[in-house]
Amino acid sequence: MAKERKKVIRTRLGEREIMDDSIIYFSRGLIGFDDKRDFTLIRVREDSPFMLLQSLEDPNLGLLVADPYSFLEEYEIRLSEAEKRILRVDNIRQIAVLVTVTIPKGKPEQTTLNLSGPIVINYVAKKGLQIPQVDSKYPTHYCPAAEDLK
Amino acid sequence: MLILTRRPGEALYLDDNIKITVLSVQGRQIKLGLEIPEETTVYREEVYLKIKEQNRLALETSQQDLFAATELWQKKEKK
Repeated sequence: MAKERKKVIRTRLGEREIMDDSIIYFSRGLIGFDDKRDFTLIRVREDSPFMLLQSLEDPNLGLLVADPYSFLEEYEIRLSEAEKRILRVDNIRQIAVLVTVTIPKGKPEQTTLNLSGPIVINYVAKKGLQIPQVDSKYPTHYCPAAEDLK
Repeated sequence: MLILTRRPGEALYLDDNIKITVLSVQGRQIKLGLEIPEETTVYREEVYLKIKEQNRLALETSQQDLFAATELWQKKEKK
């Protein structure tokens, strides 16, 4: 019986086994990829702040994401009532926030976090939504390395 | 693209439940009023396009760079 709760999927990092209950449903997909709805989070490595937000339908669709709070403690996002309703959020403790990550080719030290389009996940209801931030006080491209040099 | 002409105060409907009213025109700025269903989200196009581009870039990382970045930030966190 336990076997049925697992599934093997193809990802950008090769085959991975995931639990059925780790599937997150994005009712609106991701911006630019609105036809893909089922995703899961895959850790790149233990203790790494980076993860792949991997589509279950398309092995090539695995976005590099990170926990922004590993880098930037005070990052805040705004959710509208409509967005809360889509995510079925009734308690702020149900949500996790991720941001997409850009690594310029061959320049991992110039990695940036993209703070204007956080991906918010209600991990209780297993629902996700990418939420553009309009009045963000944060830079679009936040470079953790530049911060370290201060 | 469907093109319609409206004056300030005039509105149009998209389906039965989305109403867009032209409130005022001042020089190059047009103020719009939106009456929309509760679950409808509204985003400005330039923000939307920027995020679309960032999503595309988040897909393009090579495995080599990904592991290099992982190394870089693991080490930094351990300091």
